[in-house]
Parts: sequence; structure tokens; C-alpha cells
Amino acid sequence: MEKLFISRDSLKKLLDRLARNLNLVAPVKDPEGIIMFGPVADAGQVLLEYQNSTLPPKSFFFPQTERLFKFSYGQEGMALEDMCGSDKRVLFGVHPCDLKSILSLDPVFAGAYKDPYYINKRENSAIIGLACSNPSPGCFCATFGFGPDDGEGSDIMLTPSGKGFDADVLTDKGQEIVASYKDLFEKAGDSPRIAGETRLTVKKLDLTGIKELLDGNFELEYWNQVFEKCLGCGICTYVCPTCHCFDIYDSSKGGCDGERYRSWDSCMFTHFTMMAGGHNPRPSKKERVRNRFMHKLKYHIDRYGLAGCVGCGRCVKSCPVNIDIRRIISDLGEVSRNGQL
Amino acid sequence: MGNCKCDNPYLPYPATIKEVIDETVDVKSFQMVFDDPEVMESFKQQPGQVAQISIFGVGEATISITSSPTRKGILEFSVKKVGQLTAALHDLGPGSRVGVRGPYGNHFPYEIMKGRDLLFVGGGIGLAPLRSLIDFVLAGENRKEFGKVEIIYGARSVDDLCFKYDILDNWPKYDNTDVYVTIDRADMAWQGHVGFVPSYLEEVKPSPLNKYAITCGPPIMIKFVLQALNKMGFQDGQIITTLEMKMKCGIGKCGRCNIGSKFVCLDGPVFTLSQLKELPPEF
Ligand SMILES: Cc1cc2nc3c(=O)[nH]c(=O)nc-3n(C[C@H](O)[C@H](O)[C@H](O)COP(=O)(O)OP(=O)(O)OC[C@H]3O[C@@H](n4cnc5c(N)ncnc54)[C@H](O)[C@@H]3O)c2cc1C
Ligand code: SF4
Ligand code: SF4
Ligand code: FES
Repeated sequence: MEKLFISRDSLKKLLDRLARNLNLVAPVKDPEGIIMFGPVADAGQVLLEYQNSTLPPKSFFFPQTERLFKFSYGQEGMALEDMCGSDKRVLFGVHPCDLKSILSLDPVFAGAYKDPYYINKRENSAIIGLACSNPSPGCFCATFGFGPDDGEGSDIMLTPSGKGFDADVLTDKGQEIVASYKDLFEKAGDSPRIAGETRLTVKKLDLTGIKELLDGNFELEYWNQVFEKCLGCGICTYVCPTCHCFDIYDSSKGGCDGERYRSWDSCMFTHFTMMAGGHNPRPSKKERVRNRFMHKLKYHIDRYGLAGCVGCGRCVKSCPVNIDIRRIISDLGEVSRNGQL
Repeated sequence: MGNCKCDNPYLPYPATIKEVIDETVDVKSFQMVFDDPEVMESFKQQPGQVAQISIFGVGEATISITSSPTRKGILEFSVKKVGQLTAALHDLGPGSRVGVRGPYGNHFPYEIMKGRDLLFVGGGIGLAPLRSLIDFVLAGENRKEFGKVEIIYGARSVDDLCFKYDILDNWPKYDNTDVYVTIDRADMAWQGHVGFVPSYLEEVKPSPLNKYAITCGPPIMIKFVLQALNKMGFQDGQIITTLEMKMKCGIGKCGRCNIGSKFVCLDGPVFTLSQLKELPPEF
């Protein structure tokens, strides 16, 4: 790993050049004041300090709606046109929780059946991470064993330091970027990195005993206390950087031609598991709410050995009835210690 | 954004319907052939696996491959009309173009069944997945590898019996193979047994010795069949069933078919009762 430094001025230049030469995606504020990752043409728009974006950058690998292929019936039979290609892209300014969430999604889309849509975008993207200098009060990433300056998952990790940013070059992709814009980087100095202190301000919940509790107890009286107020709106899954459920459907204007798409779906919706004949394995909000938290705190770990939650706090902020995964973690901890709340 | 030439598991292979067989009022069997003979050759399913059938412009549905892999050059699916895709498929006839991708899921563990007797218990369209294994076991040289075969099958009425040609004509002709058929309600046109599958099973009372029981049917039937089998002395490890969950991708990505940490599309649909008991009761 190479440790470099980039001044604020040089970083502006870097972003300008990246925007010109490649597709640059970075956090920006829209006219309504909402922070989103989006394509940027002008480096001036890019936020160098922000609290988590409303939606995670996940959509640049796994878009909310994505065309899978086109089909057409013709003289020669059926023709399918695959749409899994992707352009080169640089994702700038990704916070540690969002970096970790991408690592949590990777094994879902890899495995015995490789998902070319996700994987092509992933391979064609370089990620420049950005440490959080001002984590939001809802953040609890420290719970999952990392902090606001953790670069894992990025190709280059930037951490505010002195009059610019320390730039840790972590991968070959990162090295390539540095090599193309050598003039903008210098050797790292010894100014202290700010994130050392912000790390301490982030909430760290105790996960002790929770996985074991959930492993041994599918039925817990506790879930009855959680699900009632849930509205089933699904926004918690919509904003979550590790949720990966989708629906597949066709669109065709009649005739012979059309397209197949996939779109994000949510396990919080009734129809998600509804089967022919009306049988539904998760018929009520109780089962659905439990499934969501079990996925985050158990199932994803069982399947992939990785946490299904990265503590970004987005679902906490978005839930209209304040169902709060931090509260649930601390309650489950309590149940595991005392057998009840 | 260009298109690329990678292996894409979401792309169905174009196929053509060759023959349609009316099984019941709402079940039809479709024999299909891939348009590309190389695909037909390389598509190697195992008994119990499923495929995703596409009608372009309508969508996809997960359907068991009911034909045995020993039947070459053709894939057969038996489909009950319940919604959009299945209704659209019922409107298609020979020559119609569809798409098929797969095979997906695990399969019936016939490797461990060799040398044993087999008991099949099916209800309604639930016979479709069992049929891939029954025909596999009965086919040619395979027959010698397995012991006695007993098949207990039922449906609501005579008209609801699927695969009548197999249950009434073909299967009973095989050596050491007994077929028991029942319908739920008495019917003038029916000389055979009347009663529900689980109680008929208890009447027939097959011995659990050196035997595997394989069952599939409506959830309520499965529930009582499992209880009856246990009562008759079958151990959980001797009982095999196939589960249905709603599926979309079939390849472990869309997150829809989970039961606890398992995905039915990858880790199932075939489970032993001991495996089922390890899962949360959410199916
Ligand atoms: C492992 C497996 C094997 C199956 N094998 C067969 C088979 O051999 N023959 C057969 O006829 N059917 C089989 N099914 C069920 C079949 O997949 C559904 O009936 C079909 O997808 C319904 O599609 P549709 O578009 O017609 O219905 P839709 O219009 O989508 O919906 C109609 C109703 O069916 C429900 N439904 C939708 N998708 C599914 C689904 N995947 N599973 C169950 N219910 C669903 C809907 O919630 C709704 O209640 C199998 C399902 C699974 C998971
Ligand atoms: S569950 Fe909530 S806090 Fe955890 S990663 Fe998803 S949105 Fe963030
Ligand atoms: S955001 Fe809150 S109310 Fe909406 S589905 Fe999620 S938990 Fe339920
Ligand atoms: S059907 Fe998509 S994960 Fe199983």
C-alpha cells in the first residue's frame, strides 16, 4: 500500500479531470437539499464533507430498475439482446459503511451463478473512499467492527489531514488512477488524521450473544413488541445498502418486441412471498419484520460470513414510525442476557 | 452501454412447444425442445430439478421438470393454470415459442436410494416433480438398481387426476411396482378407492423397512402425510419432500425464496424431513 497526500486544490483538479475523462459519480446536493450520489460534470458540486446520502451508492452496481435484455420474435425465431455491459466509472466519496455494504453484496451476486450485470459494473468501477469527518448521530458503524476512517472496499481511501487528504492507495485499480494523475499527488506528510477522533464519537452497540440468541430461537416473544406499528411501507429496505431483493418482469407494447427488467423489491411487502392458492409463508407483519432483522443480524452472516447491516443509520432515519434497528440490537442483547426485556 | 458476450444466467434459451397434453381442466403438460440442438444436448437436468419458463412479454414461472433425464431430446413440464404466466402458457399450442433457463436447484438424492424400496406419495399436480424420479427409477437398466416401488396418488376427483396414462396404464405394468390411486369424493365413474391421500396411506400401510418415502402435494396434504409416515415408523431421514416457495431468479440473488438462511432455489427444493425440521417453520 502506498501512502500519498492530495491537497484540496489538487483534489478539485483530480475530480475535474475524472469528470472529463471517465464517468464520475459523487455525492452532490440536489436543489431540495437532498444528498445523493449522481453523475457530476463539474467538480465544484462534489461534497467533500457530508453525512450519509439519502440513498446509498448501491444503485450504481444494482440499479433500482435495470433492463436485463431485449427480445424480439422475427423470421429467424427469437432474438435476445443482452444488456449486461457497462461503462467505466469512478465512484468518489464513498463512506466506510457504504464501502462495507458493497463487500456484503459482492458474494450475493457472485457464487455458482455469476450475475453479469452487477459484476461488470463492479469490475468497471473504481471506488475512491472518503472518511467521515462528521458522522451523523444515527450512525453506528463501530458496532460492526469498523469505523469512519476504515478504507476496506475502496481502491483509494481519502482521510482529511492537514490542508488536504491522506490518500491510501489500496488496490491496483487505485494505483492506476494515481499513475494517470501523478502530478496531483505528493508523499504523505505527518499531519494527524482527523478521523482518529471521530471514530470515538460513533455509537458502538454490543452484539454479544445476539447471533447465538437468534440461532437458537426463531420464535421470540420479543418480536410481538416490534412489529405492530410497522406500516409495511418498505422504505427501510429501499434505503438499505445491503438489501438486494428484486422482482423480474417484462414490458412489451404488444406485438413481437419487448424487454425484461428487474427492480428492487421488498420483503416487507405482503405479495413478496404470496403463492398460488393464497398460501403465504410470511402472512403477517410479524413474520416480515422478523425476517428483515433476522436477515440483517443472522441470515446474511450464516450464508456469507458477513454482516447484513453496516450501521449506516438510513433505515432509522427513514422509518415513519421509528422502528429502530439500534433499539432492536440493544433489546435483543438484553433478552439474550436476561431471557426477557 | 453495450451488450457483452458473457455467460448470462438470466438469458433463457429459446425453445419451441412440440406437444400439449390436457391433463385436467386446469393442468396441461407441455413438451418442449430447445431451438439450438447443442443446448438440448448440454441441458443436463437431474430428477427433481426445476426450470424457469419464459413467455416473452408476459414473464417467467418456476416449473418442475417432470420428464426424467432418461428421456432424451425433450423436456416436459406440467403446469397448473393459476395466474398470468401459467394462463398465457395454457393458451399456447404446438409450434409456439417460449424460453427456458435452468436446470436449477438440488435433486432427489437417488444415489443414496439405490438398493432400497421407494414409496411415492403425491397429490394433485404434486405428482409432477415425483414423476421425474419415478420414470428415472423405472427406466431401462436403472430399474434393477432399486427395490420395490409403491406409488400412492390422489386428487380431488377423477377429472383432477394428472398423468392418468402413467398411473393407470404405464406404471402398474412394471415389475415389482404397485400403484394406489384415490379420489377425495365418491364418483359414479370411479370404481377405485375414495378418501384423502394421508388416510389411504395409513390404510395401505407400507413398511418403513429399507425404504425411502418421497412426497409432494398441496401443503395441507404434505403436512398430514409427514405425520402419517412418522406414525408408521419412518424416520425423518427416510422422508424426502420438495418445497414450493415463490421464486423469481432461481439462482440465489433475488432473495425471495428464503426459509431462514437457506434459499429454496439453491439449497432446495428437495429436503429430507430431518433437514426441514432444522429450518424455521416458515413455508
Ligand atoms: C420449486 C417449484 C416448483 C414448481 N413446480 C411447478 C410445477 O411443476 N407445475 C406448476 O404448475 N407449478 C409449479 N410451481 C408453481 C409455479 O411456479 C407458480 O404457480 C407460477 O409461478 C405462477 O405464475 P403465474 O404467472 O401464472 O402466476 P401469477 O400471476 O404471478 O400469480 C398467481 C398466483 O400465483 C402466485 N405465485 C406466483 N409465483 C409463484 C411461485 N413461484 N410459486 C407459487 N406461487 C406463485 C401468486 O402469488 C398468485 O397468488 C412450482 C414452484 C416452485 C417454487
Ligand atoms: S439495516 Fe439500516 S442501518 Fe443497517 S445497513 Fe441497512 S439501512 Fe443501514
Ligand atoms: S420503514 Fe418502518 S414502517 Fe416502513 S416497512 Fe420498514 S419498519 Fe415498517
Ligand atoms: S428465487 Fe431468487 S433467491 Fe431464490
